[in-house]
Amino acid sequence: MTGVAIVGMAALFPGSGNLDSYWANLCAGVDAITEVPVGRWDTTKRDHPEDAAELVYCRRGGFIDEHAEVDLTRFGIMPNSVADTEPDQLIALHVAAQAIEDSGGAERLPERDRIGVVLGRGGYIGPSMARYNQRVRIAGQLVHTLGELLPELSPAQLDKVRGAFSTQLGSNQPESAIGLIPNLAASRLANRLDLGGPAYTVDAACASSLVAVDQAIGELHSGRCDLVLAGGMHHCHDITFWSVFAQLGALSRSERIRPFHRDADGILIGEGTGVVALKRLADAERDGDRIYAVLRGSGVSSDGKGSSLLNPDHGGQVRAVRQAWERAGLDPAEPDSVGLLEAHGTATPAGDGTELATLATVFGAGEPAVIGSVKSMIGHTMPAAGIAGLIKAALAVHHRTLPPTLHCTDPHPQLAETRFRPTETARPWDADGPRRAAVNAFGFGGINAHVVLEEHAHAAARARITVTEPEQVLRLAAPDPHALAGVLDREDAEIRGTATGSGPSRLSIVDPTKKRLALARKLLGRAGDTRSWRGRNDVWFYPAPLLGDGGKLAYLFPGLEAEFTPNVEDVARRFGFTFDTGGSLVGNTGRHGHAVAQLGRSLDGVLRKIGITPDGVAGHSIGEWTAMTASGLHRAEAIDEFLDTYDPDSLRMPDVAFAAIGTSAERVREALAEHPGITLSHDNAPNQSMVCGPAAEVDAFVTEFRAHQVMCQVLPFRSGFHTPMLAPYLGPIRENADRLELHRPSVPIWSATTAEPYPESADAVRELFVRHLLEPVRFRQLITAMYQAGYRVFVQAGTGQLTSLVTDTLQDCEHLAVAASSGRRTGMAQLRRVAAAVWAAGGPDTVAALESAGTGPRHSMRLNLGSPTVALDTPTRDSLRSLLSTPRTSGLSDSSALDAVAASSPMAAEFRALLHETADTVGTVLAARQHTSPATLREFSTQLRVSVEGMPYLLDHCFFRQRADWPELADQFPVLPATTMIQHLMRLVEQAAPGRVVIGLRDVVLNRWITAIPATELPVTGRPVGDNLMEVRIGEHASLVAELAERHPAESPAAWPKPAEERAPEMTAAELYTRRWMFHGPRFQGVVELLAIGARHARAVLLTPEAPGALLDNVGQVLGYWVVATLPSRASVFPARLSRIRFHGPHPQPGKRLHCTVRITAVTDTTVVAEAQLSIDGRVWAEFGDWTDRRFDNSPQTVVVERWPERNTLSRRQNGGWVLLSEHWTDLASRELVLRNHLGLGEREEYDSLPPRERRAWLLHRIAIKDAARIWLWDNGWGPLYPAEIGVREHADGQAVVHGVCRDPLPQLDVRAAHSGEVAVAIAGPAGSDRGIGIEPVTESVAETRFTAEHPEYARVTDPWRADRDYLVTWTTDEA
Amino acid sequence: MTESELATVADEQEVLAEIADMLAQVLEDMELTATEVGMADTFHEDLGMESIDLVMLGNLLTERYGDKVNFAEFAAELDLEAIIALTVGDLVTYIVRRLGGEEH
Repeated sequence: MTGVAIVGMAALFPGSGNLDSYWANLCAGVDAITEVPVGRWDTTKRDHPEDAAELVYCRRGGFIDEHAEVDLTRFGIMPNSVADTEPDQLIALHVAAQAIEDSGGAERLPERDRIGVVLGRGGYIGPSMARYNQRVRIAGQLVHTLGELLPELSPAQLDKVRGAFSTQLGSNQPESAIGLIPNLAASRLANRLDLGGPAYTVDAACASSLVAVDQAIGELHSGRCDLVLAGGMHHCHDITFWSVFAQLGALSRSERIRPFHRDADGILIGEGTGVVALKRLADAERDGDRIYAVLRGSGVSSDGKGSSLLNPDHGGQVRAVRQAWERAGLDPAEPDSVGLLEAHGTATPAGDGTELATLATVFGAGEPAVIGSVKSMIGHTMPAAGIAGLIKAALAVHHRTLPPTLHCTDPHPQLAETRFRPTETARPWDADGPRRAAVNAFGFGGINAHVVLEEHAHAAARARITVTEPEQVLRLAAPDPHALAGVLDREDAEIRGTATGSGPSRLSIVDPTKKRLALARKLLGRAGDTRSWRGRNDVWFYPAPLLGDGGKLAYLFPGLEAEFTPNVEDVARRFGFTFDTGGSLVGNTGRHGHAVAQLGRSLDGVLRKIGITPDGVAGHSIGEWTAMTASGLHRAEAIDEFLDTYDPDSLRMPDVAFAAIGTSAERVREALAEHPGITLSHDNAPNQSMVCGPAAEVDAFVTEFRAHQVMCQVLPFRSGFHTPMLAPYLGPIRENADRLELHRPSVPIWSATTAEPYPESADAVRELFVRHLLEPVRFRQLITAMYQAGYRVFVQAGTGQLTSLVTDTLQDCEHLAVAASSGRRTGMAQLRRVAAAVWAAGGPDTVAALESAGTGPRHSMRLNLGSPTVALDTPTRDSLRSLLSTPRTSGLSDSSALDAVAASSPMAAEFRALLHETADTVGTVLAARQHTSPATLREFSTQLRVSVEGMPYLLDHCFFRQRADWPELADQFPVLPATTMIQHLMRLVEQAAPGRVVIGLRDVVLNRWITAIPATELPVTGRPVGDNLMEVRIGEHASLVAELAERHPAESPAAWPKPAEERAPEMTAAELYTRRWMFHGPRFQGVVELLAIGARHARAVLLTPEAPGALLDNVGQVLGYWVVATLPSRASVFPARLSRIRFHGPHPQPGKRLHCTVRITAVTDTTVVAEAQLSIDGRVWAEFGDWTDRRFDNSPQTVVVERWPERNTLSRRQNGGWVLLSEHWTDLASRELVLRNHLGLGEREEYDSLPPRERRAWLLHRIAIKDAARIWLWDNGWGPLYPAEIGVREHADGQAVVHGVCRDPLPQLDVRAAHSGEVAVAIAGPAGSDRGIGIEPVTESVAETRFTAEHPEYARVTDPWRADRDYLVTWTTDEA
Repeated sequence: MTESELATVADEQEVLAEIADMLAQVLEDMELTATEVGMADTFHEDLGMESIDLVMLGNLLTERYGDKVNFAEFAAELDLEAIIALTVGDLVTYIVRRLGGEEH
């Protein structure tokens, strides 16, 4: 057959989310087999099966959970339809799109109608269908059986059970049922990627993928398609699937998958998806495509009657293999016919034996070749097995590398009869002719497929690709150094594959080369010597842990150093932050400082994310400011603002210079007596100090020291920091420092001025902030003091030489100092060394977290791959229990004989009532006696996942309005309401304290909004702080203290009397929402009646909504109503603190009516404080004290823009056709609100990528442009337009071109804008119109000259928010 | 060792060997790392030395060669990039030159 080229590939298999990591894993021999992850199926309750089908004896397999995140919005798939769609359809879409990208992107594709899709997929039950089955069949089965067993249950009660069960499965959306149709795996792909060729799935069991490839070759050869996406998928870890394979005896009882091992005992089930993009070879060559490999032949056969359905037949296999080679025009029996055979290799005795017989028959003897099976690493991926093998083989050909196969330590005896041997490690593939590989895939029932592929002929000329494998981080632990030495007393290859082991003595080696292993042996062989080894040659060894047992870890943030070579582009990509130094920085103190701080903060985030957390932080010079933000003392934004408020260049004292002196501070001080103009600015380490003074004097000082053979270096900084010389310039700094908002640090921070932890009081902190700038940096004393306080591990969060200073100071004291960034290596390589070092010193193992970080796509959604046993949530369970037990606990059935007479006899009725009462009392007493007192509270830590998929009601709690069908949900900013978070925390506390309920909350502090897009996983920790008190924290977002008791207090406080003076509200409750006083959507709209409002209170009726926390949120809404109705400005409020809440009963059921009274206790410029009561039928259920809302900037003029952004602008229209915008938002939080109301996702990213000091002006400018465009469009007949619908491209010459975002095209508009200070102006017109606009502050001279000068148009305007500032605006229009 | 004796050892290979010994001290147990120090090795990149390590090396050079060899002044003539690119060979050549200069 004529060749078919593989021009693109993509893979998602266990352990690898993309093609690159798949190849990296293949080369490194990564074993991706794990235990069944939580949530797939219930692995715990299958120990005593009474039915053989229940006996699933295996618990290990290949799973893709960490990679099951797919960016769907780019394909236009609505997130809320995802839950019901089979995940394999979405994964196939994601992987196919990657394959297209890998082939050069969509723009290189041939005509869409000539692109086909053929995917192998088994007809097994997928997770979504399994959940659907639970809903449709199991729910019915459950209540049917329940009804049979408990005939006293009424149909209504059974319906409740069914409803509760179904509710746990999430809401059912009829329109997403299409996602359950199996062929959609191919059709959805054609639909979303707009491909017009045939698109279908094929099922040939484990041969499916290669049969799909065979079909694809046919589609290309017939000429119907010019490109085919071919491959296969398998994402079915359903318990039924496992059970079937267990019954067949195919699952490995040893829970290992060992292809071609003598004792191989079966498969482990894997999952995954792979797709290749195929073109006719001639077309690919014509188009200049990258050709991974060329498919030369494919063969497909069935066994016929030759086999039983379970046991393969080697005759059928031989037919498929020979057919493929025949079509390739090649003879498989030639001695060098093949270099790599990627076998089916299932590791079942029958399968391996038959396959080896086939290979012996077809290939016979010849040049030794490598046999492999990727199943040894990822498990058997069933219909996707063939594509997993084909992609592996194509990569091997492309990279000229023979990848290893795992666990074949004792090869199958039949291998000896073939020319094939497995390889344990990756090795270069040398060959004289074209490198050729072949792939097997054999399916149940006797369906066989084989593909032959080889290197592209023209590839021979290209540069040789070197094998680059990710560096291995070898970690070995043992009870003592001697035992560790024992572990090293083996062959290198064996050591590299050795499991970590356990024990306090730890050794780690990055990239364990022969030389490094030799060094390690030598180290551990030192007789009686148990010194540590701290990283030279990438080897770390600690005989005993430094961390734990009082040993602490600190982050050290560097300040400015002469060399700044952050090499973190790769880290930024992986961890999703932007880092752009924008060229050389050293010498530009301001930008250099910003970049160092940005790097420090980014690395702070990275280190914490991978699990290296600090017990304390400190900084060198201005690195101490970064340490402040890392500790939580200041917000990062506040420090940025601070840096923005002064121009560092203005502080430059031209004559001042710094020099590093390579000797002790003591010796420098002695010499300073002769040099009165010079000051000691840094005592860095025993062998390094720094001085500062007039440049000429510093030069003389340096020359003198050099003459005494002391190394000196004059540094390129002139700030004068850390010396009294800065004092005259301190005014504005002190002023700004005093304004910096202080927070309680979450991590202790140390001062290098005092060499002590920071003081507690805010005044003392502010004082220290200033002293830090005037007094020497005492880094040596700081490190000594921290060592004395137990700090042993110092991680430098940046580049530079703080680690050397630490080591020079601590010398032989056991410690570790390691840098998280270095100019010498890539960022990831350097972090790998941090992970290795910290682990060796007794820290956590963070290597896996580091290597896997950021391999998923952004804006992604996690797919639900499981269909676990349905468990009722606690409130549902409890309410159902009480509902179902009602007819039985009293012991008196409603149909007793008494009932019959009770209707007519008062005495009988009374007696019946008495009996009921007695029974209830006895029941309660007995229950109380049975009740054992609950155990003491324990610490707990768990996670709360916040996402719109898991909490769909959050889509009704979005701060910003967008067009109804707006595709980017993030632009609406769904946020977890504080009250919902409280409700979830209460639930978690109750889970951690069985038998107790939360009866009150104290000290609720709400620090930050928790956003739901992207989904976040937040750590929740609980810590007992009293017998019945639990302090709970959720990340750094919020904290509270929960009070627990066995039951809610029986008594409740008196309801507050109705205030004497009140009036009828001027609006209805419904209008709160329709007039957009509240932003809440239907699921949070619980205020159903506004009863009254007064000078200091408001009253309303609430109808308990279903969404968790919504009822408490409604209290906030009533408070919000009072604020908006009463306060003239700054009426945008969000909760910040709550001193206490008391609950006097369980949470009301949805639909319950409550009365809500809110009383205002204090109003300040920044806060509104209130108390509130919620009552049911006159009994107080909950009482709130000191509910504090924070006020944000808004005003009658701006509030209309917040509520109706599609019809209003912040800018004001001016005579002459231009608009004027003045910055009314003064604090960062208010700026954030304005920003989110006006910018779409892409623009926010643009904003974030700007240097902080440029952001304010950019935002002002951008909003003015968008407002000018919207006003022009409105004037020209366009309807409502949200700001995010206006896209802007700004050109260097100040012209901006406006276009529509996610909407019908807008007319081409040109907009010009200009700004000065806090005011921006903009003018819009059709494309090509000649317009211009300028603005400048009015000064005396301007006023005189310009107002009299001839000018096209001009106007004098006053800043609407700052009456003392006038501006001159000039503009031109071609309409004039 | 007298000055004339010094002059006789002012041969590149011998100076290199002495510097390798000093590096072994500065870098802790160099013999264990089995790194053979070569003339082309850079202090910064190849040997992983920070400026403070150079200070220690300077101290050792002073101990060994006295006033004739002033590493501090030698380094002062180099700008930052030259220091980063500084090789063991550069230092050896400088020392040989200084010691040789003393002979005359």
